Amino acid sequence: MDCTQEGPVSRGMNTRTPVIELRQITKSFGSFTAVHTIDLVIGEGEFFTIVGPSGSGKTTVLRMLAGLETPTSGDILLRGKRINDVPANRRPTCMVFQSLALFPHRTVGENIEFPLKIRDVSKADRKARALQLMEQLRLPADYYGKNVTKCSGGERQRVALARALAYNPDILFFDEPLSAIDYKLRKTLEKELKDIHRETGKTFIYITHSLEEAMVMSDRIGVMRQGRLVQVGTPNEIYTAPNSKFVSEFIGDVNIIPVAINGTGKLHSAELGAEFTSPPIPAGFRSGHLVVRPESIRIVERSDSAENRLSGRLYNEYALGSRIQYQVRVGEQVFIVERLRQQAFQGGIDSEVQIGWNARDSILVGD
Amino acid sequence: MAGATTSGAAGSKRWRTALLWAWVLSVVAFMYMPALSLLLASSTSSRYFIFPITRWGFDWWEKTFNSIEIHILFKTSISIALCVTVIAVVIAFFGALAFARYDWKGRSLFQKIVLLPIFFPQSVLGLALLLWFNAMGIPLSWKSTVFAHLVWIVPVVTLVISIQVYSFDPALEEAAFDLGATRWQVLREVTLPVLFPGLFSGALFAFLLSWGNFPLSLFTTGADTTLPEYLYAKMIAGYTPGVPVLGTVSTMMAAILLLGGYGLIVLRRRARLK
Amino acid sequence: MAEASAPAIATRQPRFVILRWLKLRPGAAHALPVIAFLLIGFAAPLAWVIMFSFMPERSFSLLNEPTLDNYVTIFSGTTYRSFLWSLGLAAVTVILLALICYPIAYGLTRVFGRWSTLLTLLFTIPLFVSENVRLYGWILFFIKNGVMLGTLKSLFGYEGETWLFTEGMIVLGMVYVYMPFMLFPMTLGVSMVPNETRDAAFDLGASRWQVFKEVDLPLAMPGIVIGFLLSFVLAVGALVEAKVLGGQRVIPIVHEIELAFTYAQNWPLGAALAVLLMLVVGTLVMLVLRRFDLDTILGRR
Repeated sequence: MDCTQEGPVSRGMNTRTPVIELRQITKSFGSFTAVHTIDLVIGEGEFFTIVGPSGSGKTTVLRMLAGLETPTSGDILLRGKRINDVPANRRPTCMVFQSLALFPHRTVGENIEFPLKIRDVSKADRKARALQLMEQLRLPADYYGKNVTKCSGGERQRVALARALAYNPDILFFDEPLSAIDYKLRKTLEKELKDIHRETGKTFIYITHSLEEAMVMSDRIGVMRQGRLVQVGTPNEIYTAPNSKFVSEFIGDVNIIPVAINGTGKLHSAELGAEFTSPPIPAGFRSGHLVVRPESIRIVERSDSAENRLSGRLYNEYALGSRIQYQVRVGEQVFIVERLRQQAFQGGIDSEVQIGWNARDSILVGD
Repeated sequence: MAGATTSGAAGSKRWRTALLWAWVLSVVAFMYMPALSLLLASSTSSRYFIFPITRWGFDWWEKTFNSIEIHILFKTSISIALCVTVIAVVIAFFGALAFARYDWKGRSLFQKIVLLPIFFPQSVLGLALLLWFNAMGIPLSWKSTVFAHLVWIVPVVTLVISIQVYSFDPALEEAAFDLGATRWQVLREVTLPVLFPGLFSGALFAFLLSWGNFPLSLFTTGADTTLPEYLYAKMIAGYTPGVPVLGTVSTMMAAILLLGGYGLIVLRRRARLK
Repeated sequence: MAEASAPAIATRQPRFVILRWLKLRPGAAHALPVIAFLLIGFAAPLAWVIMFSFMPERSFSLLNEPTLDNYVTIFSGTTYRSFLWSLGLAAVTVILLALICYPIAYGLTRVFGRWSTLLTLLFTIPLFVSENVRLYGWILFFIKNGVMLGTLKSLFGYEGETWLFTEGMIVLGMVYVYMPFMLFPMTLGVSMVPNETRDAAFDLGASRWQVFKEVDLPLAMPGIVIGFLLSFVLAVGALVEAKVLGGQRVIPIVHEIELAFTYAQNWPLGAALAVLLMLVVGTLVMLVLRRFDLDTILGRR
């Protein structure tokens, strides 16, 4: 269970044996291609998250891994063995569904015992295992006979996970199981899920549309867009080195400035009428976007030095708990600037301000 | 001032509620007036029905139920209804899955085709089936009536079960399959139990609709006779108190089966939610 | 306790080919029994009727030279009156039903609360009793010395004439028999109007009438239209009401068809009449149903 951060170039796979491998996977529904030639290797014991907006094909990838869909072309390998044609009920994998798919006509205990019953495990053993799982997942033992439709959202999550663990799969899949849960409970369950991952040592493959959720739990993240895998990397890599405008926008509030190389070989924004010093420009770069995170931009006060500076007007401010977010208008563009609450900017709304950032805090990406 | 308007609004609301109740109760009374008339007519000892009844009695009930002819009628009608129920529920179960569970290319067309026989005049359907049986050389008996009933009842039952299937989460089947169940185990352990209330109401509908059907039976029973057919024949032939007796029995049977069936579903739900 | 372990993968499964075939088109596979059954039990007999309608008068086999004679006979004769009677009676019935049922549908979804289920059951029960038996109950009610006139006579000494065997009685019978077919779809439609939308309309200053016209009616429309269609189509095919309560004063189209088949022993003429009725009914059903997505009405999405 080695989850330490590796170097920036690493794909996070150095220390792991591959458990599941996708080779040139494509899935079409009629004329619509949901998944487009995906290559991916996931390591033993890894917590891998696929992130993407709805319709990006992430659920289709997961359903193919689970055996609920068959790829149109390409191969899925489990420990080197091709499993394209192995149906879901014969794969050592198990899925926690978005709707959780708990059996409404059964009790909590019967739900958890379902995979054991299918395998003709004796009644006593089934119950023992169910109670053990319930304890592990912090479900009170007297819930054993409770009707599953009477459980709260968080309890249902735990029952679903217990049921999947009762199957004792090598790989667990999660199809946005936390999407319908309120924020606070979701945060708790995210951490619990990571703990369970640690305790069981199983491979977890998780799907979400929230990169924030992915960051909290994952060893590695794959970002999907329109059926393609656009970036794979550790949370840190995704955060600090997004490889496209899409990925950088996906992380959350971010400032993006369209830029192009001008005659003097420097980055230039036509809209803002300004030149910027930037990180090293890759060879062949002609135009793209400069990405600066809100916490890397500051409102420049007095003698502060910033390599890039813009003048604007403070338009509005929002309290975000520990931080305060400012919107600063520069020409037509609105910049988002964040500060810790203790360092709140004292000038009022509508005051003229200077914002600035250093070249090393900005990222240059293509379109 | 504000208080006055509120109480005024509440008052008018109370009036509207009372009016709605009065309306619905009078319509219910209207719906049950024939049944009541039948009950009254069956409870007289006289040969002819004259209201108000002077000689109350259940002589005609006794006479009717001691008749062997009536026993045979009941046997025929119940055999037909039972066969129709079993076959209709099986076919309609699959039909309902195609109707509401799966997304497939021809689904929208399929839904409309299934509805078509429900909209069709049953007497004409009965005649068409008569021609068809005749052309195929199929002898008319209660068995051909089972077939005729099915043409109309399978679509109705498909619709009834579909309503349950719409609220069925397909992920339940996938989850069971994913947890190692075979297709058969998925069907037995998940699909059938979850859809049970729908199947049960479908069966109830099938039985009762077949039991009460006249227009389809009329042209397809051949030498056999169902209860509604017999009643019709007696009705045109002239008055006999046996008709109100059997009519009352039919109505009560429908009421008992329906209310009893509904009660069972409620009890089952209560037991589960404990 | 030994932990039961997930099955090791097994790649060669001979049965799997069939399963995959089913998995590719499970919807169509499940529809198969119904489609096959309706082909034999519904489409084929109707096709037979259509073919018979082109046979010469009074023939009992399909082996004759096809002819349009039966249709000529229908359009040159007086049978069209039966058509008009059927359509007219159905129209009157449907309008009365709409007026009777809307308040009930509204009450069932919003006012009657927990009593709604019981009321719905009460409206359902008569559906399962043979039509002619129920109509016979009306005869006992309206007949001279029956429940109504007998009561009037004994209480008030009033001796009235029976209302039986009039056109009004036929309409009463039809309203009575087809009530559930208007009521239930209409209730479904009214229940599709979200309470919040009505509240929002009130809150935005709409009067009760405006809420009905602008919110209730349009949103409940699918159910209402299906109710109209169902009760109208069934009423056009009505037969027993006119026979039992109307005393055969009016001959509706289905009665005409039955007479041709049985009494007149003229199958081709009966078939031609049936084809015309099928055309009217079928066109109406398809026209209306085409505009609706059944999934939204019956509860999905």
